[in-house]
Amino acid sequence: MTSTPGADPSSGRYDRLSLVLGRALAVVGALALPAVVLPPAQGVWFGRALVTLLIALPLLRVAWFVVRWFRRDDLRFAFVGLGVLCVVAVGALLS
Amino acid sequence: MPAVVVLILLGTGCAFAGALGGIGGATLLVPVLLALRVDPFLAAPLGMLSVAAGSLSAASRQLDDGVVHHRLGLSVELFASVGTVVGALASTQISEVWLARILGLAALIGAVAAIVRKGVRNQPVGIFDDESAGEWPGTLGGTYSLGGAVVPYSARNVPLGMGVSVLAGLVSGLAGVGGGFMKTPAMSEVMKVPVKVAAATSTFVSGITAATALIIYAGQGRVEVRAGAAVVLGALVGGLFGARLQSGLDATTVRRITGTLLLVVAAIVIGQTL
Repeated sequence: MTSTPGADPSSGRYDRLSLVLGRALAVVGALALPAVVLPPAQGVWFGRALVTLLIALPLLRVAWFVVRWFRRDDLRFAFVGLGVLCVVAVGALLS
Repeated sequence: MPAVVVLILLGTGCAFAGALGGIGGATLLVPVLLALRVDPFLAAPLGMLSVAAGSLSAASRQLDDGVVHHRLGLSVELFASVGTVVGALASTQISEVWLARILGLAALIGAVAAIVRKGVRNQPVGIFDDESAGEWPGTLGGTYSLGGAVVPYSARNVPLGMGVSVLAGLVSGLAGVGGGFMKTPAMSEVMKVPVKVAAATSTFVSGITAATALIIYAGQGRVEVRAGAAVVLGALVGGLFGARLQSGLDATTVRRITGTLLLVVAAIVIGQTL
């Protein structure tokens, strides 16, 4: 699966994605604190939101790359990313 | 279940050590939780929440450093996620002792592979400047920065690396660990990718592994959200500082730290089964 370098080596920079993930990290931290500090009846809602976000973020990151690679005609790896999402979906259905 | 403060401290310490060596904090956290007599069926989801948080806290910095190879990571994860789904679904069927033995043996092999190799395999090449550091589109190759120079690399032995990834995913789903302790050596020792790239890419894909397993664990009603939040809070802090220290170290140091951590983990896990 290896070959010669592509035309734009510097396209590996992901400033916008890095910014979004940095902000998401702050949100996760902001959810974790009340989930621990508040009484269980209230804290559990923050905890559920936290777990949901931690599940969704890596999958959204994969989806972001799938879209990016489809747009840039990097089809082989776009389909690899799509395959990962399909496997996760099958796992969710089987559970 | 340990007190919230204890869980926060455990999450911090394990995530720091895990991010530093690219093996995932849960590889350390889950055995420690088991030693504290936490139910394995609850410890595994806590481990995966730690993995997800550690992966997220390292993400921005590793992206900025250009050390994550997303194409390689998703290629590895395509196979690993199949193993994760099978492992998570089967995790209620296998005995704890055999699970611990499999985990300990795999960690031991990874530790030996990481410690035995000496020197830097990929050497700096003058024709690349620092702006080209990162992954190359359409390939499993790229460059990374080393001592002010840029080092080219390309993944080799890809089918064997994918095979190890399936096994890593299976262990992840069964035990609730991110599998970085197998994926990092699979990429660095089998696929001949520089260890810093392998460690960062492993941290990235471990987040996907965690998401996959957590969906299944949640379906099985095994996710304790309050205890999980405590572990996540600690993991965010530990993962952040571990990743910062990781990108400032040289490749040989990172590999030796990884190997030493793996040896400790293997001793803990195997010792529990004797």
